[in-house]
Parts: sequence; structure tokens; C-alpha cells
Amino acid sequence: MRSTTIAVVLPAYNEAPVIGSVLRRIPSQIGSMPVIKVVVDDGSKDRTGEIARMHGAYVIRHLTNLGVGAATITGLRSAAELDVDVIVTMDSDGQHDPAEIEKLVETLIDGRFDVVIGSRILDRRGMPGTRLAANLLLNALTYVVYRKIVSDSQSGFKVFSRQALEAMALKSAGYEVCSEIIGEIYRKNLRYKSVPIRAAYTSYSRAKGQHFLNGINLILGLLMRLVRRV
Amino acid sequence: MFALAAKLFSVLLALIVISKSYVELRSRSESLQIFLFWLVTWTAVVIVALFPSIIDVLIDLFGGGRTGLGTFFGMGLVFLFFLVYRIYVKLDRIEQKLIQTVREIAIREDWKGKQSQNSNPES
Repeated sequence: MRSTTIAVVLPAYNEAPVIGSVLRRIPSQIGSMPVIKVVVDDGSKDRTGEIARMHGAYVIRHLTNLGVGAATITGLRSAAELDVDVIVTMDSDGQHDPAEIEKLVETLIDGRFDVVIGSRILDRRGMPGTRLAANLLLNALTYVVYRKIVSDSQSGFKVFSRQALEAMALKSAGYEVCSEIIGEIYRKNLRYKSVPIRAAYTSYSRAKGQHFLNGINLILGLLMRLVRRV
Repeated sequence: MFALAAKLFSVLLALIVISKSYVELRSRSESLQIFLFWLVTWTAVVIVALFPSIIDVLIDLFGGGRTGLGTFFGMGLVFLFFLVYRIYVKLDRIEQKLIQTVREIAIREDWKGKQSQNSNPES
């Protein structure tokens, strides 16, 4: 019998300074399960793709920058074509600790969940107050749009079963993909669990993370979803 | 003073749009119909800005005092919102097509790379 295979998908845009160290810290095996690293280079202008390839990742390159949502969906689709059983998504800016992949994957497999969400709110140590307030606001907005409340709707650190991935229909290009996934969990009645994770708020990840303008775009994107549904 | 500034502002905006549209027409990235549309629209905007009394004539034409300035501009606002909605829908459709195209190319290139690696295991 073929052993369970895991793919870790990292959407990346201009992450040359950190992508190497993030990929180095991703285990090549979890228990007996081999881990494949998939980097979606979202039209980077630096050496992100080249460095990722040097660190043993499958690199898929977008010809132009499409946004984190589009890059995540491309990565999920590629992972499905690689015929893996479990798919992890995480940020490539070093905010998430690759050592926590094992905990999330084990929760998914042992608990027979469809999706496991790494929640920064459940372990909010070190989280800046403005970030916490913004996340709580976006949780509320996600509930208004998708009728589902979770502790961290904007977390990019998630684990999916292959079946969950095949059930979900995603199309967001930007940051609103996280809320869309929560909506799909609700619509497709998927079993999920939120697990606390520690996020590293370095000056690099804070500079790379969601800016005010991105936040406005995210809110507008979610509101337009609401309008189009009416 | 404010009325003069508003007039100058309208003329300036019109000149920018019309000249930009003309450049686009010359470089053949815009059709003659689109250029004429912008020319007529912005000429109308300038005429209204320079001679605001035209609005009174239009109000009289559409039913006089019963119509009112509010109704006139309200209709304009509704039309603009409709236009914004149409542009949003079109933009969303184009964005989805762009994403699908870029994604297909990315995945095909990836598979091509894998196939060439398989056919040449020495490399």
C-alpha cells in the first residue's frame, strides 16, 4: 500500500531573503510520510523561484503577479496533480513555524478532519494589538458574508485532506481567499478544527504582511461577494 | 472665485482625458468610436461647467420646477453607479480569465519541465 504523502504549498512573491530558510526548516518526512515542497512563485522580481528550486522545492511560476489567493489556488491544484493525500498551506515570509506542520497534520489524520486551521488567535502571544483587532474585525466580516465563525479566519497556515480540496471551489485572487475557504468549509459541510499556532511577528513579516491598503481591498472584496449574492 | 476654480478644473480634466484619448487613437490602441465618445462626453461636461444655466433649460425641458435639480443630479448619480457596477463586473471577468490563463501556462510549463527531466535522467 502506498504511504500517505504530504505537500506543503507556499505562495511566494519577492521572498528571496527568507524563502531558503523557511524551506530548510520544513521537514522532509513526518513519521513515515514523505513531504513535498511546492512553491508558487507569483511573478516575483527577485530570485525567489531560483532559491526555492535550490532548496529542493517544486517551483511553479506565474508569468505575472496575480495575488496570494490565486497563487494559493495554483499551488493547491498542482498538489492535487502530484497525487498527494494531505496538503498544507503556509506563508513563505517566515511568519509560520514549519515545526508546527507535524502537529496540524497529526490533528487532521488522527481526528479524521477535512480541514485543520492554525489559529494565531488561540495563542496570541506577541500578536500586535492592531493585528488582533483587524483579525477580529475580519472574523466578524467573514461571518456576515459566509455565515461561519472561526477563531482565525485569515490564517494562511492550514491543512486539507485531498477530499476536502476536491470538494472546494475557490476563485479569489487576493487575501479574501482565506475567508472563501471558511465559506467553503460551511457550504460543503466539511469537518474542521482550529489548533493554536505561534506566529513570528518579525520586522520582515510585519513589513510583508497585510498593509492598510490590502486590508481595504480585502474588506471591499468580501463586501462585493455579499452584494453579488443578494 | 470657487465657481471659476470649478470651471478651470473641469476644463483641465477634459483636456487631459481628450488628449490622452487622442494619443491612444494615434497609437491605434483605441478606436475612432471610443475617441468620439470621450470627445462628445467631455465637451458636454465643459459646456455645462462653463454655462451652468444650461441645466435650468434642461430642467424646464424635463418638466420644470416639478423635476428639480436634485432629481436631475440624482439620475446622474444612479447612472454613474450603474456604470461603476458594469465596470466592476467586466473587470472581475477579465481578472478571472487572466488568472486562468496564467495558471494554465504555469502548470503546463511545470509538467513540461518534469517530462524533460524524465526523458533525460542524466541532467
